[in-house]
Amino acid sequence: MNAVELDRVSKWFGRRDGAPLHVLDAIEIAIPEHAIVAILGSSGCGKSTLLNMIAGLVEPDDGAVLLNGIPSHAFRDWRSMTYMFQEDRLLPWRTAAQNVSFGLEAGSLGRIERERRVEETLSLVGLAGFRDAYPHELSGGMRSRVALARSLVTEPKILLLDEPFSKLDPAIRAQMHAELLRIAELRAMTLVFVTHDVEEAVVLANRVVVLHPRPGRIAEICDIALPYPRDPLSEAVTEAVRRLRISLSSARG
Amino acid sequence: MLVRTPATLIHEPRRPAVWRGRAGIVVQRLALLALALAVWQLGALHAPSFVLPSPARVWSAWTGLVAQPSFGRDLGITLGRIGAGFLLAALVGLPLGIILGASRRLGSFFEPTLTVINTVSSSIWAIFALIWFGLSNWTTIFVVFMTAMPLILTNVWQGTRTVSAEHLELARTFRMPRRKVLTKIYLPTILPTFFSGARLAFGFGARVSLVAESLGASSGVGYRLRQAADLVQTDQVFAWTLTLVTLMICLESFALKPLEQHLFAWKKKAQP
Repeated sequence: MNAVELDRVSKWFGRRDGAPLHVLDAIEIAIPEHAIVAILGSSGCGKSTLLNMIAGLVEPDDGAVLLNGIPSHAFRDWRSMTYMFQEDRLLPWRTAAQNVSFGLEAGSLGRIERERRVEETLSLVGLAGFRDAYPHELSGGMRSRVALARSLVTEPKILLLDEPFSKLDPAIRAQMHAELLRIAELRAMTLVFVTHDVEEAVVLANRVVVLHPRPGRIAEICDIALPYPRDPLSEAVTEAVRRLRISLSSARG
Repeated sequence: MLVRTPATLIHEPRRPAVWRGRAGIVVQRLALLALALAVWQLGALHAPSFVLPSPARVWSAWTGLVAQPSFGRDLGITLGRIGAGFLLAALVGLPLGIILGASRRLGSFFEPTLTVINTVSSSIWAIFALIWFGLSNWTTIFVVFMTAMPLILTNVWQGTRTVSAEHLELARTFRMPRRKVLTKIYLPTILPTFFSGARLAFGFGARVSLVAESLGASSGVGYRLRQAADLVQTDQVFAWTLTLVTLMICLESFALKPLEQHLFAWKKKAQP
């Protein structure tokens, strides 16, 4: 069964003056379990709206979002899906461990089980020694790890990422990519992420959905069958990047 | 933390050693105190004692006052009333401020009431309290409450505007229930503004409590102050005043400041 299925989804945003803005037009994507899917597009193509729709934060105006085959308005198991933002969004008054614990505090898990899972997740992202550090005491990369741990602590099946790690410098970003792939495989997760960075899409995803803007619609769905880990400088990766760049830029013409 | 900015390294040696550090502060404070006492003494030499009693006279009045058993009782009664009024104000103002701040609809609906309450002066509340509660503890408690509560409420309300939309969105992705969002995001965010509001409110409340007591009580410091004024015992008025000032300073520097520093340690460190 598909983890996520978008069935001819459309979205308009109401505007105070004049006609509503057509954001997404008849988007159709099937995301199988354990897939790593990139939604690639330039800014303003509605890719974040698309992700928010999968997360159930925005309702589609037309069509349906199916999660494990269940329409999103009837879906209840939201803890099996978490969302990682572009920024780390750590709470400055909480330590690393307490920030990770935030992911569990919406639920009704007991304190002891919560602490056990927080410790386990902190070690998973390599932050076991920093449980009591406040966000301002951590580097950008470590803060990203805390944010990642917070998304993982609920043991989700699906992880949604909105331009992940895009604020980090390139070396740390590559590290986080490797970390993300390792954990996705370990936990058998499905990843869906949006990005405007073609290289990021090619290095991470096994399927790339190219969106064209105004209104956002699918230009191409492209499978990338290269083995992991993928070296950004290898010929196969640069070739895929070049091909997707052409596909992306044809939209602007 | 351990980082010193170059500016302090350059400027520090230029100042005389006496003015530096913790010891320097103590020296400065003592100098100020000596100056105030000298001016006071000088004034007292040229005025009758019922207008301005000398420091020595006030000192002897104070030692006499402290020796009386009623001293502790009156002080306790007044502090109890201030504490009760303040506590009620915090218990009402904090949750109400969070709720009004978190809900745009409720907030804009009730906004005018705050303006109205803030324009009514404490002495008017004291008059109302006298009519409603007569000569009882509740008169003072009510006046402290009506003075402190709007201050706390306003500060908390203002504080909710600093709640980050990003943090609220984060809570939404975890499907955090509304009640938990209030305690886990709103409350920690507004705590610093609540604290500064509460300190302000406590100070105002403590001051107006004396007005309320002098109007509508038969015990407490305010009542004693009025009694002393009626009998033109100016040295007694001075003695009570000094007691209260000392008490407030002690409370501020030994209770409130350390508590604030402890609570917001995460914030202090964030600003180098």
